[in-house]
Amino acid sequence: MSFFIKNMSRRTIVQALIALPALSLFRKLPDADANASHADPSRADPHEIVEVNGWILKRSDLA
Amino acid sequence: MIFDSYEAFRAANFTAKVCILGSGPAGTTIARKLGAAGIPVVVLEAGSREFSDESQDFYRGTTVGDFYFDLDITRLRFMGGSSNHWAGWCRVLDKQDFEPKAWAPDTGWPIRRTDIEPYLPEVHDILELPDFRPDVPISDDIRWVQLIKSPAVRFGEKFADELDKSRNIAVVLNTYATELAGDGKRVTGARLWSNGQDAGAFSADYFIVCTGGLENSRLLLWSNQRSNGGVVPNATALGRYWMEHPTFEGGNAILANYNEFEVDAVNEAFFSPTLAAMERLQIMNFGIRLIETPYPGVKSLIADLACTAPDMAEWMSAKLSQNLRCAAQLYVAWEQAPLASNQIELSKTDVDHAGVPRIELHWKKSELERRTLVEGLRLFGTTLIEKNLGRVRIADWIANGDDYPTKDETAGHHHMGGTRMGTDVTKSVVDANCKVHGMDNLYVGGSSVFCTSGECNPTTTITALACRLGDHLSKVVAV
Repeated sequence: MSFFIKNMSRRTIVQALIALPALSLFRKLPDADANASHADPSRADPHEIVEVNGWILKRSDLA
Repeated sequence: MIFDSYEAFRAANFTAKVCILGSGPAGTTIARKLGAAGIPVVVLEAGSREFSDESQDFYRGTTVGDFYFDLDITRLRFMGGSSNHWAGWCRVLDKQDFEPKAWAPDTGWPIRRTDIEPYLPEVHDILELPDFRPDVPISDDIRWVQLIKSPAVRFGEKFADELDKSRNIAVVLNTYATELAGDGKRVTGARLWSNGQDAGAFSADYFIVCTGGLENSRLLLWSNQRSNGGVVPNATALGRYWMEHPTFEGGNAILANYNEFEVDAVNEAFFSPTLAAMERLQIMNFGIRLIETPYPGVKSLIADLACTAPDMAEWMSAKLSQNLRCAAQLYVAWEQAPLASNQIELSKTDVDHAGVPRIELHWKKSELERRTLVEGLRLFGTTLIEKNLGRVRIADWIANGDDYPTKDETAGHHHMGGTRMGTDVTKSVVDANCKVHGMDNLYVGGSSVFCTSGECNPTTTITALACRLGDHLSKVVAV
C-alpha cells in the first residue's frame, strides 16, 4: 500500500481522494418505504430535500 | 474623581445622592448620564484598575446541571467589569425578541424595541460603532444578519480620565456592598467591604445594582435573606429565569461561491431565522456563524473534501505539508427558553472572604432548545439549496442525537436574567423602568433585567437600557 502511495503523484492522490466522499453519501440512503414515490426512483421528486449522513441535500444531488 | 479606597473617599467629604454598584458598561453609562445631569453619584467598584487573582476569587461558585464555565473565569471583577474581555460584537435585540412567543412560556418584555431605539445614537458613540446596517433577507426563512464590531471598548480604560476629572462622579475602587438593608419600601443603607475588610455602613438616596448578570442576583438574594425580605419584597422570581447563549460547532457547509456573503475581518458571516419561520416551526431565535476559510485552487478542493471526509483530508493535508480545514464551518448559538428552574441560588456551605455565600448556578438546556438547534440548521441548509448557494452538513453529534459536547465553545459568557423585567411580580423582579417591584429607591442595571435573550451579543442592548435608565433616574432624582 505504502509503495503505491509513495509512487503516486500529488495530483493523483488529490483526484482519488476527492472522489471518495461521494461513496459515503450512499452508505445510508433514505428508507425506500418511507415514501411511496421512493419505490419507483423514476417518479421521485428531484427537488425533494433529503438528509443523508448529516448532509442536507436535494434528491438530485444523489443521482 | 477616582479613589483607591473607601477611606480616601470618606476623607474627601463627597456626598452622593445616588450609589451605583459596579463600573461595567451599565454602571459606568448610568453614572455618566447622572453626572452630566448634575447629580452627585458614587460608583463602588469591587476590584481595582487591573485584574487580580485575589479579586476574581470572590466570583468562585459551582454549577449544577449542564456543563458550564468556572464562574470565576466567565466574568471580570475590576474597573470596567466584563467589558474587559468583551469581543466587541454589536447588535440590538430583534423587534420580535421583545414580543411574547405563544409557543414559549414566559417570553415577552413590558417594553418594546422602540423604547430603546432613541438611545442608539448614544450607544453608537459610547461603543465607537460603525453605522448600524439593516439585515438582508436571503429567503422567506433566513436573514443575513448584520452584526457590527466595536473596537471592544474597555469601559474602565476609555472613561477613566473623564471619571477622574468629573466633579459629580466619585469612583471608589476596591470597595463594594456585601449587602443592602431595606424595610420593604426603601433601601436604608449598605454594608461596605473595602480593601479586604469591613468598611461600615453607607447610605444614599438611591441605589442602582449593576454588578453583572450573576452578581446582581447574588447580592439581592443575600440582602433579602439578611433583611427578611426587606430589599426585594416580591422575591418569587429573584435569581430565576437565568439565560445564556449556548454555542456549539454545528456542522459545515460547502458554498457554491465563497464571495456570496461579505465576511468580516475574521471571515465570518451571520444568519438568523425570520419571525415567520420561528412561528411556523415554533422554535426560539438562533444565530448561525459561518466561518469561511478561503483557499485557492487545489487547496480549495481539499478544504471541501475536509467537510465530507475530515480524517482523509487531514491525512492528505499532512502529506502535502498543509493544514487545511473544511472551507466553511458553522457555529450555532441560540436563544434559551426562559425557565424558572434555571436559577442562581446562594450556596449553603461555601462563602467568600467577606462571608457572603457563593453562587450555586442551576442551568440546563431544554428540549425546545434542542429542537431549535436541529431545525435551525435544517432551515439554513434548505435555504442554501433553494437559493442554490451550497450544501450544509449537520455535525454528527446533532444528527445522531448525542449529548452536548463538553469540549466546545459551550456558551457566549453572556449572563442574562435573574432580576428580569415585567409586570407580574411573581415572574419578574423589576418594572419597565428597572425599579425593583415595591421599592422606592432600588434599581437594577445590566443584562440581569433581560426577559428573553434573543440570539445576539447583549452589550449593545445593555448599554441602550443603561442610557434609558440614566435618563429616567435623572428626572426622578432631580425632583
